[in-house]
Amino acid sequence: MENLIKIIKRDQPSRTIFFLTPVLAIFLTLVAGGLIFYILGFEPFEALKFFFIVPIADMYGFSELLLKATPLCLIAIGLSFCFKSNNWNIGAEGQLTFGAIVSGGVALLFYNQEGFYILPIVILAGAIGGMLYASIPAILKTYFNTNEILVSLMLVYVSKLILDYLVVGPWSNPEGFNFPETRQFSDSARLPLLAEGLRIHAGIFLALAAVVISWFIFYKTYLGFQMKVSGFSLKTAKYAGYKGKKMIILVFLISGACAGLAGVGEITGPIGQLHREVSPDYGFTAIIVAFLGRLNPVGIIFASLIVAITYLGAETAQIFMQIPKYTGQVFQGMILFFLLASDYLLFFKIKFIGSKK
Amino acid sequence: MKTNLTISNITKIYPGCIANKNISLEFESGKIYALLGENGAGKSTLVKILSGVIMPDEGQIFLNNKTLKLNSPVDAKKNNIGMVFQHFNLFETLSVFENLIIDSNETRDNLRKKIISIMEKYNFSIDLDIPVLNLSAGQKQKVEIIRCLIRGPEVLIMDEPTSVLTEQETIELFSSLKQFSEEGILIIYITHKLKEVMSLCDEVAVMRKGELVSISKIVDEKIETLANKMVGQNLKTIKKKKLSTTSSDQLIKITNLNFKSEDPFETNLEEINFTVSRGECLGIAGISGNGQSELFQVLSGEIISDKKSIEFNKNFIGDQNPQQRREYLMAFSPEDRLEQAAVPQMKIFENVALNNFKSSNFFKNGLINESKIKQHAKKIISDFNVNTDNIELKSQFLSGGNLQKLIIGRELITSPDLLICFNPTWGLDVGAINYIHETLIKINQQNKSIILISTDTDELLKLSDKISVIYKGKLSKKMNADEVTSEKLGILMGGGEFD
Repeated sequence: MENLIKIIKRDQPSRTIFFLTPVLAIFLTLVAGGLIFYILGFEPFEALKFFFIVPIADMYGFSELLLKATPLCLIAIGLSFCFKSNNWNIGAEGQLTFGAIVSGGVALLFYNQEGFYILPIVILAGAIGGMLYASIPAILKTYFNTNEILVSLMLVYVSKLILDYLVVGPWSNPEGFNFPETRQFSDSARLPLLAEGLRIHAGIFLALAAVVISWFIFYKTYLGFQMKVSGFSLKTAKYAGYKGKKMIILVFLISGACAGLAGVGEITGPIGQLHREVSPDYGFTAIIVAFLGRLNPVGIIFASLIVAITYLGAETAQIFMQIPKYTGQVFQGMILFFLLASDYLLFFKIKFIGSKK
Repeated sequence: MKTNLTISNITKIYPGCIANKNISLEFESGKIYALLGENGAGKSTLVKILSGVIMPDEGQIFLNNKTLKLNSPVDAKKNNIGMVFQHFNLFETLSVFENLIIDSNETRDNLRKKIISIMEKYNFSIDLDIPVLNLSAGQKQKVEIIRCLIRGPEVLIMDEPTSVLTEQETIELFSSLKQFSEEGILIIYITHKLKEVMSLCDEVAVMRKGELVSISKIVDEKIETLANKMVGQNLKTIKKKKLSTTSSDQLIKITNLNFKSEDPFETNLEEINFTVSRGECLGIAGISGNGQSELFQVLSGEIISDKKSIEFNKNFIGDQNPQQRREYLMAFSPEDRLEQAAVPQMKIFENVALNNFKSSNFFKNGLINESKIKQHAKKIISDFNVNTDNIELKSQFLSGGNLQKLIIGRELITSPDLLICFNPTWGLDVGAINYIHETLIKINQQNKSIILISTDTDELLKLSDKISVIYKGKLSKKMNADEVTSEKLGILMGGGEFD
């Protein structure tokens, strides 16, 4: 008996499947998640309800969802510039952290001042910080042939250590009883809140602007066209005569700026100061978001909302079910895992055939 | 006991091409056999059949008078047929010993003893415990050979083994092969290098276009006669009507052009010098892998060279990228249609925008000028007979011939002064080939020039006014196409010389 199932290569990747696989991946994640809850001794549907529905059932929950989705969306948009053009920037977390450090530093300069001009400077500083940090792997890649995956990833830990040093050492709050955090920023350095009593802030407009601008760049500009060609074939890009190095640096800068802005959003939004943990690994999770959204700006909006739920769900689950909040990361991992696995269906179809004896 | 390998009436047909047509050969141990032929002659197909990688449509293989059924490379190994491919199948980061033990069932100690005794016997000196990446190409090849020898092979097939070796390594390889042969291993040596055949082998089988042309003893052959057989005397193809231009109006001049690559599988270019006049078609012949792809890239600007090394239309452009070169009215059609000249996943009109340069206005102020591109695409499709009317179609749905028409059309619609093309009709059907050939002849007649790099000698003789041969990165002198004989061409392509 052999070959109950036959795997056949598709003539061309299916367009329908291209957009269906993320849905399939989410479905499989739910099934697997339910199974895990069951093994842990919880009623699976109840647990999934606590994880995915309860957290966003009220207005506050929904605003929290947007709050978490904002940095994810912003970073993922930036990353899609890199990923679309075959550049593997894995260090958005570091660019976010460094953006937060630079903008936080600027915000601290103005800690006892008020003025409309402070916030724009702080935001700009964050973007520049992210760009500076992203330029390191970009320049090393273009001029020294290093691998951007390794460099960008390792720089994440460097940035976190720099932040650690600053909040414990030179930038720590003189009136802070040696807590590892800086002073609170002045109100002029804070992003305005959208509604009284909620934490959702104006950073969401930055994310939405990024979506619109990136859509325009991807589909309407020469840069977007070059990125698309480079993404499909670097050989073609070379043949066409695109300035490969310039493009690599540019997409890294854009990506860094987005991550830096996400960092600004965190510290000038909900946090209001620098401390050790400015980001619960948004920079890494955004990689999942970018791929789940198929590197498409609109897709990324949906993907960031879905992945943001896992952050909230993990917190709810910790409170109501006494499950560690790291379950959220388990779900994020599963989404990526199932997405990569179901991408197999893009190129291959599975045919069930009768058994041969 | 002598080993006897017989193949009888082997036929393998691929869509649109007969790779092997009724091939029958007999081999006996104690001799070294050469399988000689140009690219596309069918050598590789035959070798793949012998090593179980592909199965023939018809025909049989007998080893020592027993029928051999090779369904996979494992079957070939089981039947003591060893194979050393041109490109090595080694894990670079594993040690030599680890590479050798991977496909062996023996215990480590036994295997090590065996390997050491093999190395002593044949005078190989390789450190078994260093990673393969630290070895030279010659040493890596020895590892591959040892891998075959461990199994005590009866037949050893070597596929173009000297293409990555130095002169000295080649000499060493030849003496090892002679030693194997004396010990009773049947050796089949695949090559297109005539000199090697003459110095190493006892008998030679020549293949051309899927058919077996001749089987003979080396003592009865000379380089010239082999060259003739390899390239074929069938040169009665209609040559194009030559322009009687004695035009000294020089369009492009290449001076002392060099390229040194860091990749061992690429070919270095040495001291390339040539000129092409207006209205001339210069054909560059050669067996593939002798530097054609590197030459194409240097000419197109994908590889930048010394500014003064390329003079085009009285401008020095050696340091310009392809886009800048297009501005001077050069056009390029690379060999690889699907991975370089076009992006199959993109729409037809998007592919048209790939040869964008400043004055093409496909992109304005950084924005895509879609209407301009689409209008341009429509014109190409109608002017160059691309068989579709939907420019929104992804180009992967075009046949090879239509895609090539689109590419050539894209390159020619700007009326360039020089078109550089590399194997423009590779893998196309007869209709498309004729169309491309006619198009190339037409632009020559419009006083535009062509550099045609091709591994198809018939094509070169049909289209070229002048022909040079590239061998190991060196270019021969230009010859008049009507004075070139197949013999001369064959000798030059095989690395020989004549006065």
